[in-house]
Amino acid sequence: MARILVADDASFMRQMIREILEAEGHEVVAEASDGVEAIDQFKTHHPDLVTMDIVMPRRSGIDAVKGILELDAGARVVMCSALGQETLVTEALEAGAKDFIVKPFKPAAVIKTLAKVLEKEDQ
Amino acid sequence: MDMAKYRQVFLEEATDHLAEMSRALLELEKDPANAEAIDLLFRMAHSIKGMAASLEYSSITEVAHRLEDRMQDVRSAGRVAGADGLSLLFRGLEGLEKMVARVRETGEPPPPDPQLAAALLASQAARLSEDGKKKS
Repeated sequence: MARILVADDASFMRQMIREILEAEGHEVVAEASDGVEAIDQFKTHHPDLVTMDIVMPRRSGIDAVKGILELDAGARVVMCSALGQETLVTEALEAGAKDFIVKPFKPAAVIKTLAKVLEKEDQ
Repeated sequence: MDMAKYRQVFLEEATDHLAEMSRALLELEKDPANAEAIDLLFRMAHSIKGMAASLEYSSITEVAHRLEDRMQDVRSAGRVAGADGLSLLFRGLEGLEKMVARVRETGEPPPPDPQLAAALLASQAARLSEDGKKKS
């Protein structure tokens, strides 16, 4: 099971994704509520994977992906997107994010996407 | 999932967001190009949209989504366009406040407000049409 960092400015979303991940046996090692905190928590915890909201204060999720990949080029970041954010998702994938999950979260879809990213990188 | 727990978290977080949005709109009244206030309104509308969608509150999701789109336009333009533009944003905020209050009072999804959603959408359509005319 993976050690995961959850970055989202909404406590509601952090709690929801934590519940989905923990039900599957993953460990949420830290949470971040903005892009700067996400990079700091990544430095501290070196998680196996990061779930990253796109719209956040201080530094956006896309900026945070870039910051994390500067620290670790192999970092696995999965973006959390919402309706109408297709352009931003494309930008995040081009910046190096591995995949994306869509809000509102469907537990089965979240777990499937994360498992795919974790498996792919383990090969 | 314990949706009653998430409803409570939604009410707390949405109430905080709406208060911040109200303060940001007052800042925009003084300075229609206040970038910090514009960005905050965009992020808060986006956040309320995501939470409401997770709870299947479609009426709140729709108004928050339209407001987010309006704020995206404002971000692109760098300022709120005139008193009408600001008035529409205040109307959107007031609509969201009423809907969130309804959830607090009844625990049920609030009814839709098609007039408000249409007004927010019409404003965007008018802007797009104006852009089209400028380009042609």
